Parts: sequence; C-alpha cells; structure tokens
Amino acid sequence: MATKLITIAFDVMGSDHGPAEVVRGAAQLSLESPHIHALLVGDRALIDDALAETKHSGERISVQHASEHIGMDEKPGEALARKPDASVSVAARLVAEGEADALVSAGNTGACVLSCARHFQLLPGVRRAALAAVYPTRDRHGEKADPFSLILDVGATVEATAEDLVTFAVMGAAYARIISRNENPKVALLSNGTEPNKGPRQVVEAHAALSAMAGLKFIGNVEGVDIPKGTADVVVTDGFVGNVCLKMLEGVHDTVVELAQYAYKESLRWRAGLAMLSGGIQRIKDITDWEQYGGAPVLGFDRIFIKAHGRSKARAISNAGKVAAKAVAHELGKAIQQGLAR
Amino acid sequence: MSLPDRIDPRPPRRIYRWDLDKTYLQTEFDSLRDLLRTAFQKAHEKQAVPGASALIRELASNGDSRLCIVSGSPKQLRSVLEEKLKLDGVVWDEFVLKDNVGNLMRGRFRALRGQVGYKLPAILESRANAPVEAEEVLFGDDAEADAFIYSLYADMIAGRVDERVLQQILDAAAVYPDEAKRVLTAWKKTPVADPVRRIFIHLDRLTPPAHFANYGPRVVPVFNYFQAALVLLADGHLTAPQVIKIAVEMVQSAGHNIITLSNSFQDLLRRGLPLQQAAAALVQALEGPNALIQALRPMPDIISAFTKRLAALGTPPPPPPAQAVDYLELIHHALPRTHKGRKTQ
Repeated sequence: MATKLITIAFDVMGSDHGPAEVVRGAAQLSLESPHIHALLVGDRALIDDALAETKHSGERISVQHASEHIGMDEKPGEALARKPDASVSVAARLVAEGEADALVSAGNTGACVLSCARHFQLLPGVRRAALAAVYPTRDRHGEKADPFSLILDVGATVEATAEDLVTFAVMGAAYARIISRNENPKVALLSNGTEPNKGPRQVVEAHAALSAMAGLKFIGNVEGVDIPKGTADVVVTDGFVGNVCLKMLEGVHDTVVELAQYAYKESLRWRAGLAMLSGGIQRIKDITDWEQYGGAPVLGFDRIFIKAHGRSKARAISNAGKVAAKAVAHELGKAIQQGLAR
Repeated sequence: MSLPDRIDPRPPRRIYRWDLDKTYLQTEFDSLRDLLRTAFQKAHEKQAVPGASALIRELASNGDSRLCIVSGSPKQLRSVLEEKLKLDGVVWDEFVLKDNVGNLMRGRFRALRGQVGYKLPAILESRANAPVEAEEVLFGDDAEADAFIYSLYADMIAGRVDERVLQQILDAAAVYPDEAKRVLTAWKKTPVADPVRRIFIHLDRLTPPAHFANYGPRVVPVFNYFQAALVLLADGHLTAPQVIKIAVEMVQSAGHNIITLSNSFQDLLRRGLPLQQAAAALVQALEGPNALIQALRPMPDIISAFTKRLAALGTPPPPPPAQAVDYLELIHHALPRTHKGRKTQ
C-alpha cells in the first residue's frame, strides 16, 4: 500500500534561532521523509534565501508568504489582534482549511495555542485543550523504550475540572500509544499523596472516574517525586500545576549544569572527576536529548499541532515534523475520540 | 572529431545537448560497486530520470532540431546505451562517448576524471559544424562540472571570453595540451554567435540552487524535468499540451503527484523565473479536452493547486540579474570531486 502523503505547515518565524533554522529543519525533513511535504509559512524572501543555500528537495517544499510574525515577548491575544497576517495564524488557518494536515511551531506558545483555538475545532467530548510536554525519566517507556514521559496539561487550561482531567488522561494515553508505541500506557493523576482521597476535589473526582474507566491503565495518584522516576507514562494535572512542575524540572536541570560548570572551574580534583564521568554524562545527555522528541502536542483539537521548543535547532524541527506526521498518519484525533467514547 | 550519427538534410533551428549519466539516466557511480553494476547493466535495466525521455521526444517532435549527446561514459558502453535510448524512443543525431580505455593505456589519468578537457572540445567541435543561427539548450547535472563547462562554452562562442583567460582556465583545470589545442582550434572555427538560451542542471545530488547563482539566470538548476518543461514552455520551445504530456509521464511512471508538480512550479517562481504566462497557458490547456490527464485527477484540483501556489507568494520576486561569469573564481567547480582543490558544496 502506498504511504499517505502528509503536508506539515511550519511556522517559520517562531524559533529563537531565526527563520533559517526552521527552514533547515524542514529541508532536512524533505530529504529524509519522502511522504512528508513541508509548507513553510513566513516571510517569503527570508525563506527563499535560506532554502537557496540549503540542500533540500524542491518537490516536497512549498511556501506561503506571511508578512507578520509574533515575538516571544508579545502578549498573544493583543498580538494576534494587531497582526492578522502573523505566520502562526496563517499556518493554523491553512491547516484548518485542509491545505496542510498538521502545524509545527517553535514560536510564542500562547499565540500558538490561541491561533489553534481560533482556527481549529475541539473534538467532540473535549471541553478544553491541553498542552502536553515530554520530560526525561529514569525508566524507559513503550516499544520505542522512550526515556520520556508525558505530562499534561502544562499551561493551556489553568483551572481544570474533574471532567477535563479525565479527558486529558484519555488524550495523553492515545498520544503515548501512537507516538511512543506504548500499547498500554500507565496513566496517573498528580496529587499530594497516592491515596484516592488525597488532593483537591476535582482530583479526587477524576480519580473515581478514571478508576471506573475501561480501556485505560490508570495507576492512581502519583506525587511530584514520581515524575522524574517515570512511575507513570502519562501524568495528568491542570495547567497551573503542570506549568509549575515543568518549570521546576527545567530549573533543576539548569542548576545541575551550572553546579557542574562551577565545580569544573573551582577545583582541579573536581575537574578530573568530571572528566572521568564525561562518558556517562554524555550518555545521559544522549538518552535525554529532547531534540530527538521534537516537540510536544496540543491535544484536544481536530487538527494536530506540535509545539517545538523555542530553542529548537534544525534536527528538533525536523523531528517535530515527523512526530506531527506520525500523529496524522495514525489518526490521533480519531484515537482520542474512541478513547472518550468508552 | 566525432561525426554525426544521423544526417539530416535540413539545417537545425535548435540544438539540444544532453549529458547522459545523472542527467538522462539515473546512474550511480559514487563507489566501485556502483561503477561495476553500471558497467554490467543491460539496456532494459537502466532507468531514465523521470520525464527525461518524454521531454526529449516532445522537443524532437517540433522538428528542425538536433539532439547531441556528449557523455562521460566509456565508449565500450555504446551499444547498451544506444539500445536504452532506442527503448525509450529517443532519436539522436550525435552521440559522443569518452575514450577511457585509451586514456588509461596512455597513462592520462587526469583525463579519466577530468571533464573540461573532454566535454569542452567535444561540444565546441559539434558547434563548429552547426548553422550559426541554431539556438541551443543544454542539459547537465550537478554531479560534475556541467554548469561550468556549458557556461564557459556559451560565453566562448558568444565572444565573451578572452583567450588569455581561457588559457588560464584550461591550465587551472589541468587539461592536457592536446585537449587544450582541440579547444582552441574548434573555438577559432566557430562563428561568433550567442545561441545558448538555457542551461538546465538536473539536481541529482540536490545541490542547493544558490550554488549555481554565479552563473547567472541562464543556468537553471532543476529538481525534475517538469521544471525544465515549464521553463521551455515560457521560452517557446514547448507548448502547454506538451508540458502536460511530460507531467503525465512523470505521474504515471515515477510517482509524481499534484503536490510535487505544483511545488516544483512554485520553486521556480520563487527563484524569479517569469512563468506567469506559461502558467496561464497551462491552465488553458488543462481546461481543454484532455482525456489522459482527466483520468488521472479532477481538473479543478490541478488548476487550484497551481493557482494557490502562485497566490501564496504574494508579489513574485524579480528575475535574477544577468552577470558576467568569473570562471577563474569558479574554477573549483570544474575540478573532479576527488580533487583537493574542489571546495565542498
């Protein structure tokens, strides 16, 4: 059977590294994945300049000019109102109109989510969308042996009801099934204790609902300490708590790196010790290399959106495109709907 | 000097010069294994680049043209290559192959990989025998030095290259003295004219198009022969129905589709090729009765795909400016890929 052709719209203007890096990522994708076509949305002249210098397949790339873009520090709502031709908005519209099958952006997260909310439809049974994030864990997950778990929501829905949390659990499980090839992912609620009655009312209610749900491997509540251990494949929480957790995980990582740099400068013995550990440190870096994962999805819409990290380089952008194409090919939306119908 | 393989009583109005490997044929010769496999392939096992044979046939069907092939393949492959061309329905007028065994026997190792000392005299000698008014379109690829050699050839016969500069180029390209003499002799026999309209470079290695920017707008790197057909439609060498025939062959035999073809069209527009009128002619032809393409895809989808790609760009970029080519600056393009002086792409 012929592989289905999939077109991914890339918001070229969003990355911290500038448009050329996103163009290079899409160009890399055009060489590696013949069934994926890239629709590059952004300033045509900048895109053309970057493409002309980059090895790519011209048959698998097209360009949609967008005259504006939204910066990382802009307020999403105001910026989208002021800039109707912003690249992320144009890209989301093209996906909604069927010109592309999914959207990838490394830009302003708020503007991305808002653009999706304006142009895409929520799936039947989904009240609020969820922004998911992947994070490195001690344990491996799924057929691919991913060293990553999924946490959602990390910021799209600040206050989630019990019903929302149940929906997030179903959406996260569907995503893990498709992307991590984890047929039966372990799903958990994040709380301040493992007992079913621990946590705020909505968490307790969601626990009861998820426990009774068929077709979902709900393992109960997990605590913050379980997140880096990888106790669960999918950790469910509301956007406020999820965002705090995610930032804390990033902060811990940055602090560890800074401490290592401090130790390296401070003492010759510590430097020697770090040098001896360098092989192991590199291995840890390799297995927790977020660039291989490409990005994180916004779940709940009828279209696929993958949010790539703002610091994404070409490889991460290319991988985000592959993740998006995989979600399209395996009909993630349909899988979520089937999960919700149970 | 090579003699014409076919004698046509009418003088040609147009001459199409083609390279074979990686331009017409999908050939791999990057490793010894590839070379051996290529050497022992039978005619029916050889694959043409999608659209290439259809393009040649359509260009030939207009009449008054000559097809001249100059290939770096060894003379020993002549019969199998001729058989392949015949299988594809390609009729040629000149077919020049490289005397690699002769070069080897005489210890001329530079000539085994070098292209300038082989192709430049071959096409100059062919031109010396052509009518002065015959215009030319050349087809090569990005694997070796085709853009360099074809551009130099075009500028030499147009009188834009100084003999002293040519000598420096030949020296820098490590051309043997007898080859250099052939170049100068043929050049002096060739009447001054500016007949080369286009040089198409098939991007077999997907070399970034900007790599060829220094050759000016006459050199058009193409990802496929639908792109070449579009430019030749704009240049008046093909009609819109002929371009559709080429596209149909690419769809039927090589898995091309509405997206790859419309993306190819937009790629050329973004590089400043003035194709708006060609696009309009194509739309008109698509709207007419054409049972073959109607069977492939609903017509409105095709027209809509091309129209959208055009509209997506806003104001099209201006065509790149014509410029003098500094061949000495680009000499690394003329050196074999294994040469230490060749810059990486």
